[in-house]
Amino acid sequence: MKSLYKKILLTCGLAGALISCETDSNYDDELPSIANIAVSNSNFSVLEEAAITGNVAVTLSNANPNDPSGDYTVFAPTNAAFARLGLNEDNLGVLQQSFLTNTLLYHVSNGNLPSQQIQDGVASTSALGIDRRFIERDGDVYINGSKIVATDITAENGTVHVIDKVMIASGGNVVETAIALNDANVFVNPELSYLVEAVLYADLAGALSNPDANFTVFAPNDQAFIDLGAALGLTFTQPSDIRQLDQSLVTAVLLNHVFADVSASNFTSELSAGSYDSLGDDDITLGAFNNGVLSVSGSGNASPANMVIPDVQTSNGVVHVIDTVLLPVL
Amino acid sequence: MKRKLNTLLVILLVTSISYAQMPIDGFMKKKGSGSVTVSHSYEDYDEVFLVPNKVDRVPVFDEVEINATTLYAVYGVTDDINVVVNLPYISTQGYASAASQENNGFENERSGFQDVGIYSKFRAFTLNTKEGRINLIGSLGVELPVGGYDVDEGLQSIIAIGNRSTDINAIGIANYKHDSGFFVTGQTGYSLRSNDVPNAFLNQLKIGYAAGSFYLDGFIANQISEDGVDILGEGFTGFFPATQVNFTRVGLNVFVPVVSQFGVSAGANTYVAGRNLGQSTGFYGGLTYSF
Repeated sequence: MKSLYKKILLTCGLAGALISCETDSNYDDELPSIANIAVSNSNFSVLEEAAITGNVAVTLSNANPNDPSGDYTVFAPTNAAFARLGLNEDNLGVLQQSFLTNTLLYHVSNGNLPSQQIQDGVASTSALGIDRRFIERDGDVYINGSKIVATDITAENGTVHVIDKVMIASGGNVVETAIALNDANVFVNPELSYLVEAVLYADLAGALSNPDANFTVFAPNDQAFIDLGAALGLTFTQPSDIRQLDQSLVTAVLLNHVFADVSASNFTSELSAGSYDSLGDDDITLGAFNNGVLSVSGSGNASPANMVIPDVQTSNGVVHVIDTVLLPVL
Repeated sequence: MKRKLNTLLVILLVTSISYAQMPIDGFMKKKGSGSVTVSHSYEDYDEVFLVPNKVDRVPVFDEVEINATTLYAVYGVTDDINVVVNLPYISTQGYASAASQENNGFENERSGFQDVGIYSKFRAFTLNTKEGRINLIGSLGVELPVGGYDVDEGLQSIIAIGNRSTDINAIGIANYKHDSGFFVTGQTGYSLRSNDVPNAFLNQLKIGYAAGSFYLDGFIANQISEDGVDILGEGFTGFFPATQVNFTRVGLNVFVPVVSQFGVSAGANTYVAGRNLGQSTGFYGGLTYSF
């Protein structure tokens, strides 16, 4: 029997030499791609789904052909960042695919941008072609209105920084942005339809399209206008119902939603509590900067408006979508 | 009984499926004898060996289940030349969410006949030792896709049933069987593959006991692909057949003759390490008719 065991051992040894085993540690010296980082981290599962639906997963697996370094820098929104917009893995379908792709590209730039090169006031051009800007506030660093919560995750094809808000860029000006939402080019279901109607009714489209301005706009969503109608004893069932109101009143109210200072637009990261002049007669009062948003009110609001989609970058300013129409004392 | 088992003893076809478990072992059928086996296997996985790290969820599909029904036959043309035929029908089931299916057009099922394997085995050398026997066997085989399954559906192909590759496999086998019934089989082979699937080395070491009223073995097997890309790595285009699939797998097989010429087999296997494949654990059962 002894010789049997010897033979078995010998055969095992020979076969063992043939079988060079595959182990996890074989790859410890290899870096994951940016796409792999999204897939590997459960905090990025919505981003993973978005990258699949937006057709950028394969792109972010590979070297960047548009940069000599072969690298990308990605500002990666967490699941919590998507949740702030009401988005999760199961409802990304509320976004149009082209908008989703463009939104993802707005989070990407060519080459490596390590955190030590990120400085207050510096601009960074996204893969969408639209600039983002960095803002330092209270020891935190923001890109647009999004706080950078983790930095310098090294990938095979670049660098990942983690942010707490999804960044949105419309590609158009303030008016075109509202129209894009109204025409269901952003969400599958139209949004800001009443606002677009109101802007047209008040004949403000031309002024708000001024390419030389840098507006800060608070844009009431559809429910805000429907609620306003109810408060006035009216029933708004379609955007044209806004024309039941006096045109001069609509114009005055809308102008109260835009900062008078159009020399520089403001992301939430650049806003603080206080009273700001508007283009209208009333002031805009902001509450404290808290978790990336501020409450907004006019002098006639019983309770302030909340930001539902803050920090939308347009070509001539920043739009913050709010849930209540800002009212003067009527 | 021992003689009977030797006649019945089958090459235990170990289940599954696409990832090149060689349907070849170290025993030879005598001239004119053979066996036919129908087996059914089930395996599933939710963890995937990516590079550099394993992930605990299958991208898109969350979890994947694989059922395979396989027809396997071996026949002794002569005492020293056997032919082996192997054909699996495979069904894969994923668990992509309704939203993901709707947004991306993904489907949770794929099924069909996969690849037919046709192998010849040739015993080149036998040495009788004092208490046993050593056989050296060579095998040449081809695996041909026969089902009309797709492999180029992007991320949908995570649950593709195969690679649509034509493989030519050359395998060398050394088998030592002690008169007591203990045996050891070492195999090493090389697989030439088409459809951009990387060529691969295939190895297996099996230790078992074949005597009296039952057969039992335990094995460790691996595949080392020569090149290829990593899933979500540099060069990845969404075409899964081109990925570098490596693995180390262990398992157990049991065969028991039941009545007359019939016997039943069962087994289990799992992956202990890998690259670019799911860490599945599987089980199978089979029914064999020997003649």
